Amino acid sequence: MYTYDPIDQQIVNERVAQFADQTRRFLNNELSDDDFRPLRLQNGLYIQRHAPMLRVAIPYGMLASHQLRTLAHIARKWDRGYGHFSTRQNIQFNWPKLEDVPDILAELATVQMHAIQTSGNCIRNTTTDHFAGIAPDESINPLVWCEIIRQWSTLHPEFAFLPRKFKIAVSGASHDRAAVGVHDIGLQACEENGVIGFKVWVGGGMGRTPIVGKLIRPFVAWYDLLTYLQACLRVYNLHGRRDNKYKARIKILVKDLTPDVYREQVEAEWARIKDGPGKIDQAELDRISRQFVWPEYDAAITQIADPTDALAAQDVSFAHWLRRNVHAHKVPGYVAVTLSLKQTGVPPGDVTDTQMEAIADIADDFGFGELRVSHEQNLILADVARHRLHELWLKLKPLGLATANIGMLTNIIACPGGDFCALANAVSIPVAQAIQERFDDLDFVYEIGELDLNISGCINACGHHHVGHIGILGVDKAGEEWYQVTIGGRQSGGDDQAYDSRGELRAGGAAIGKIIGPSFARDDVPEVVEKLVRTYLAARDSDAERFVDVVSRIGLEPFKVGVYGESDNVRHKAPALQ
Amino acid sequence: MIDAMSHTETAHLIRHGALEFDQARLFAPDATDPPDRTLPPDEAGWIVPLSTWLAGSQALRARTHPVALLIAPEDDPWTLRTDDAGTVDALGLAFIAVDFPAFTDGRGYSHAQVLRQHLGYTGELRAVGDVLIDTIFYMARCGFDSFAVKPGHDPEGALAALHSFSQRYQRGYSEVA
Repeated sequence: MYTYDPIDQQIVNERVAQFADQTRRFLNNELSDDDFRPLRLQNGLYIQRHAPMLRVAIPYGMLASHQLRTLAHIARKWDRGYGHFSTRQNIQFNWPKLEDVPDILAELATVQMHAIQTSGNCIRNTTTDHFAGIAPDESINPLVWCEIIRQWSTLHPEFAFLPRKFKIAVSGASHDRAAVGVHDIGLQACEENGVIGFKVWVGGGMGRTPIVGKLIRPFVAWYDLLTYLQACLRVYNLHGRRDNKYKARIKILVKDLTPDVYREQVEAEWARIKDGPGKIDQAELDRISRQFVWPEYDAAITQIADPTDALAAQDVSFAHWLRRNVHAHKVPGYVAVTLSLKQTGVPPGDVTDTQMEAIADIADDFGFGELRVSHEQNLILADVARHRLHELWLKLKPLGLATANIGMLTNIIACPGGDFCALANAVSIPVAQAIQERFDDLDFVYEIGELDLNISGCINACGHHHVGHIGILGVDKAGEEWYQVTIGGRQSGGDDQAYDSRGELRAGGAAIGKIIGPSFARDDVPEVVEKLVRTYLAARDSDAERFVDVVSRIGLEPFKVGVYGESDNVRHKAPALQ
Repeated sequence: MIDAMSHTETAHLIRHGALEFDQARLFAPDATDPPDRTLPPDEAGWIVPLSTWLAGSQALRARTHPVALLIAPEDDPWTLRTDDAGTVDALGLAFIAVDFPAFTDGRGYSHAQVLRQHLGYTGELRAVGDVLIDTIFYMARCGFDSFAVKPGHDPEGALAALHSFSQRYQRGYSEVA
C-alpha cells in the first residue's frame, strides 16, 4: 500500500493545525455557524442526531494493521468503543465531541490518516475495486492511479466549493466491482496501442435521480488523466446548478446539456490545458509509484502441503465459508478472504474496538499487515496463503467475523439510517436485522444463491438501494416510516450486460432497480422480501439463474403478483420456507 | 444611481502581501438605465459591474482615475477577450475583482483560472465578498493577489492564512508568493 512521503505528512499535519484553529475560532464565537459548517464538513465532521459524526478517510479502501489499531484506540478513547464502515470505504465514529475532534485528527495524522474531504461539496474519497491489485480478472492495477487522483484532489484550490459532492471510482478489471457506472466520474482502466489509459464515464449516480453514467471519452491516456479530470470538473464548477441542491449533481448538468454538449465543452477546455503543467510526466508517476510497498509473495508457497480441501470435506460449515468468503487471487497459492461484518444482530458494517485490534493482529499474521474495506461494508484480507485458511477460519469464528454470507441475501448493505443520521426518513439497521432474522437458516440462504439486498434510510441512497438486486428505501409519509421496494438493480454486470437494449455501451453494466409498487410498513418488509424470494425460486430455470437474472428475464409483473397477491397461483408454486 | 460600500475602519485589504485600508466601492447602476449611459464620476476607487465595463470601456479606459471591473459568479470572463490578441486588454483598468457572494459558491475560483491561464491577465486580481481566513489560501493558489477580507474575519489572521500550507499537490496552480 501507499506510504506517505514528507510532503504528504506535512500537508496532513498542516490541515490538522488549520482545523484546530477553525474549531477554536468557532468555540470562541469568531466563526459563525454558517461559516463553520462547510469547513467542518470538509474535515468529515457532521452534527448528527445524537452527537457529531466524524468520517475518517480510508483512501480507496486500503488500511494497514497499525492504522486499524489507532482506529480502535480512537473508538475507545473518544467514542463508545466501536466504528462503522461505510459504503464509501470509509469509517465513521458516531459519538465524538466537537472539542475533541482536533485531537482525534492529530492522532490520525500520526498513522498517515485524515478526514479531509470525506464530506462537503468537494471531491470525495476516490474508491476502487476491493480486489484491486490481486484480482485474476484485472488487466491494470488501479491503485497507483487512485493515489494520483487522491493527491490531485486533496485540497484542490479550484474545486473545494463545487455545486455538490463529487465522487470518482476507478476499476481495472473486466468485472467492475467499483460500480463506475454510478459515480460522478467512473474510470475504467484499459490499454490502447500499448498505452495505459481510461474510459471516462460522467454523470452517473444514485440519490434522488438515479442515472447510469455516460461514456464521455472512450480513451484518455494516463499522462492526460488529471488535465482531463480538471476540464470535466471546471465545466461542472462553472455551469452546474447551484440554485437547487437536488439538481446540483453533475448528472443533472450532463442530462440538461446533453452528453454531447457537455463533452464538447470539456474537450474545448481540455485542449487549452492538456499540455500544461498539470500533465503527468514519467518522473511524477515514478515518484508516486515508489511510495507503494507491495506484498512480497512467497514463490515457493505452492510447494507447501495445502490441507484446505481435505478439511472442507470433513466440515460443511468450513466448506460454506470457503465457497462464500474466499476469493481467487492472481498469485498461485494465495487467496483473498472477506471478514463479514454482517453477523445477524450486529448493525451492518459495525466493528468494536476489540474486534479491530484482533483483526489487526490477524492481518499481521495472515495478510502482510494490510486490509481492504469493501463498499459492501466488509473487511478483506487480500493476500492470505491458501494452506492457512482453516487456521484463519478458526481464529475468525469466535470473533464473529466468519459469517459465510458474502454475495448472499444476508450480506445486507445498509446506511446508518434514522437511528443515527439526521437526514434519514426511516431506520435501516432494524430493518436489516429483521430480514437477517427472517432468513436465519443458512441452508436456505445458500439455496437462494447470489442476491444483493441494499437498504437506504432516505433518498440520498448511502445504502445504494438503487443497485441492490432488491433495494429498500425508507420514505416519510405524513411523519410515518414507509419502505419502498425496488428490484432488478445491479452495480455491474458481466460482459453480456455491458450494452443496454439500444446497443449503447453502459458503464460496467450497472442498472437502476425498478419500484414494484406501493410502499410497506416496516414490520411487513421481511415478509415482502420473502415473497420476492419465493417468486424467484418458483420461476428460476436452475439454481445457476440468479434472482437478478430472473427479474431481467420475466420482468416485474410476476413479482408484483407475488407480493401484492392478485393471484394465488404464483404463491402455490413456491416452495415453503424451511 | 450611485451606491457606495461603507468604508470599514480597519485595514482589511490584503495587497502585495500587506494590509491596507480598502478604498474601493462598488458602483451599482440602476437596472433600468442603459449600461453605457450610467457611469460613476471620475474619481478614485470605483468598481463597476462587468456589463458596465463592457458597454463603456472606451470612455472608462480614458479616465484620470481608472476603474476596476467586477466579475459576478454568473458572468463569463471570456467576454473580456479582445479579438486580436485573445487576451484581456488591461489598458486603463485598475484591477479585476471577482465576487464571492457566498464562499461556498466556488465559481470565482474557476473565473480566476480562466483569467490567469486562458486570457493572459497579469494585473491585480482581487477576491471580494465572502473572503474568509479559511479560503484565502485556495484563492491565492487560483491566481488572486489581493483580498478584501470579510468583515468579522481578522485581517492579520487572513494574512497569516496565506501560508496555511507549505506544500501542495496540484502542479498546475500557483505557489503562494
